[in-house]
Amino acid sequence: MTIQRRLFGLLAVVLTLGMVASACGSDDGADTKAAFIYVGPVGDAGWTYAHDQGRVAAAAETGVETAYVEAVPEGTADFGNHARDFIDQGYNVIIGTSFGYMDDMLALADEYPDVVFEHVSGFKQNDTNFGNTFGRMYEPRYLTGMVAGSATESNLLGYVAAFPIPEVIRGINAFTLGVREVNPDAQVEVIWTSTWFDPAVEGDSAQALLDKGADVIAMHQDSTAAGEKAEAAGARWVSYNSDMSAFAPNAFLTAPVWDWGPRYVEIIEAAKAGTYKPGAYWGSMADGVVDIADIAADVDAGVKSAVADKKAAIIAGNFHVFSGPINDQDGYLVVAAGETMDDGSMLGMDFFVEGVIGSTG
Amino acid sequence: MSRPVLIRREQALRGGQPLSFAIGLVVALTIGIVLLLGAGHDPVAVYERMFVAALGDPDSWSVTLNRAVPLGLAGLAVAIAGSMGLWNIGAEGQILAGAMMAAGVARIGEGWPGPVLVTAILVGGVVGGGLWALGPAVARSRIGVNEILTTLMLNEVALRLTQWLIHGPWKDPDSFNFPLAPMIPDHGRLPALFGRAHVGVIVALVVIVLFAVAVNRTAWGFELRVAGSSGATARYAGISLERKTAAVLVMAGGVAGLAGGIELAGTADRLTEGISNGFGYAGIIVAALALMRPSGVAAVAVLFGAVQIGGQSIQTMGVSSSVSTILQALILFGAIGAGVLSRYQVRMVPGDPDDPGGDGVQVGGTT
Repeated sequence: MTIQRRLFGLLAVVLTLGMVASACGSDDGADTKAAFIYVGPVGDAGWTYAHDQGRVAAAAETGVETAYVEAVPEGTADFGNHARDFIDQGYNVIIGTSFGYMDDMLALADEYPDVVFEHVSGFKQNDTNFGNTFGRMYEPRYLTGMVAGSATESNLLGYVAAFPIPEVIRGINAFTLGVREVNPDAQVEVIWTSTWFDPAVEGDSAQALLDKGADVIAMHQDSTAAGEKAEAAGARWVSYNSDMSAFAPNAFLTAPVWDWGPRYVEIIEAAKAGTYKPGAYWGSMADGVVDIADIAADVDAGVKSAVADKKAAIIAGNFHVFSGPINDQDGYLVVAAGETMDDGSMLGMDFFVEGVIGSTG
Repeated sequence: MSRPVLIRREQALRGGQPLSFAIGLVVALTIGIVLLLGAGHDPVAVYERMFVAALGDPDSWSVTLNRAVPLGLAGLAVAIAGSMGLWNIGAEGQILAGAMMAAGVARIGEGWPGPVLVTAILVGGVVGGGLWALGPAVARSRIGVNEILTTLMLNEVALRLTQWLIHGPWKDPDSFNFPLAPMIPDHGRLPALFGRAHVGVIVALVVIVLFAVAVNRTAWGFELRVAGSSGATARYAGISLERKTAAVLVMAGGVAGLAGGIELAGTADRLTEGISNGFGYAGIIVAALALMRPSGVAAVAVLFGAVQIGGQSIQTMGVSSSVSTILQALILFGAIGAGVLSRYQVRMVPGDPDDPGGDGVQVGGTT
């Protein structure tokens, strides 16, 4: 009896010491660990792939230990389960890269005030440890539109798009404005797929646009299926998220791409130094979060230099994609000459510009 | 010439279930070790993490039980129909329909007191799922339309309807045009049971027990099972197949719909298109592994839930989601599938292996 009790007491002491030791250990700022929770598989070559490249780059630059989980669905208990798992293992920076994680992250941030939560992308934040990050993808979208508008011969371009939310509509509009800067007669026809990642649906949608006579396909999707259809049809393709030229070498023109590395370095360094301040970060080409991929070798040098000039103007702040005059698709003036849309209007964009065929509903 | 055939045992092997469970588990874990080593992971650490995350402490148990709730109810929705020889492949859509109806109730009942609202949300789930199964039920019982096709096809319809609600009329006006339904009111959420478990665990257990008793121990259940094994016998015995078929399918839909209501008020907190999360399809596996018996559903669902939660957790150690999924499937089929096999024996019988018409071959059959 007594021996057992003593052993038990000894065990309790050891366990308590262990807990105290590990608690002391976690006060050390050096053991910052960052966990990433992705909505898709890292092998998608698209959205999640781009984030994972950012994670790898940030890990290399900051020396911080990182980990990830992939293919975590939105609107279920899974996100919270994974986040708590990570926190239990000592991770103190949690980055979630899908819109649907927003309210889970808000609640978790409240529950774990010592953990930094960064959300890509949403519109909520708190005052201490939960912020959001996104990029002004409309800037490179415009540039890829210039390339696509120069490449089309049929003057019909196809756009395979996921959901009619402001982010996607903004991209379609920016692309179309770029197309029509170099080719005012061209039109962009949109097909909604109602999915971010479904190679079969994306491919079928691209095929439908090709069958209608589109000779350039752009997309706001996460797989490479549209490009494979364009390649087979001898058409051209503007991919998204990352340089996907390997998947359709003849069709590939260029792509608006993400570079999350610098932003992730910023967040992790701030968390490490204890200086993290949440905010609504909307990074631009000037910040390096978004960019245009290399343009295909067979594209005219004149087009390339026009794009390079425009890129420089955007970065310098001399050109804004959504500056007037801009008409909506019915021909009504929505942004007057000399005016520029503010961030609030861009974030809630719900109309198509002139030159887009399709409906935002 | 002789060949081996599988013969269904007249009586289950005494102690066969636990024994084959253990053997199956060991075989599965052994194959898993090879898989993990091949992928460059430490199998011991991975298995330890899996166990700790799923069943290591009360908090883990609470997460596992929460996961077992929709799995068990979906499994029950398949098994109830299965007891009568019907295939309900539509639990996924019925969960969504239940969640939609429950979300509708939450919108209307914002001003109701908590207990009333929570109850109404769950009842809404049952009604939604039941209504979703009504079409296939009537079509099957009245004009014999195959319920496998109708229930399956309605899954897609339910998903599109959910998307339409979220993108259209139920879109939160404060969400910057993002397709996001508003959250249900705080007092409409399921109360906590322990850890992160909610009272849906109790609700689901009660429902499963009720149906297990009803199917196994009542005249109603006996008629159901007779009808399931032979429609002609049932008709001869004066059992009304039409009404029973319709009633059973609607009940199955209601049970799946309850899972939708519980997920809405217990874990998702708002209507999302991912709310059914594949539970309806997983329910088919749960029911099959429970040999289509409602009484077996709860245990299978808890094991299934534990494997899912543990399997997901090892991703945080760098195990890819595909390896994790393969591992989950291995364990499920090793552990529970072996239990199914224990009901059969291998016997050598004379005959030509190429002759499919040989006698004595008895694989499968209805339960």
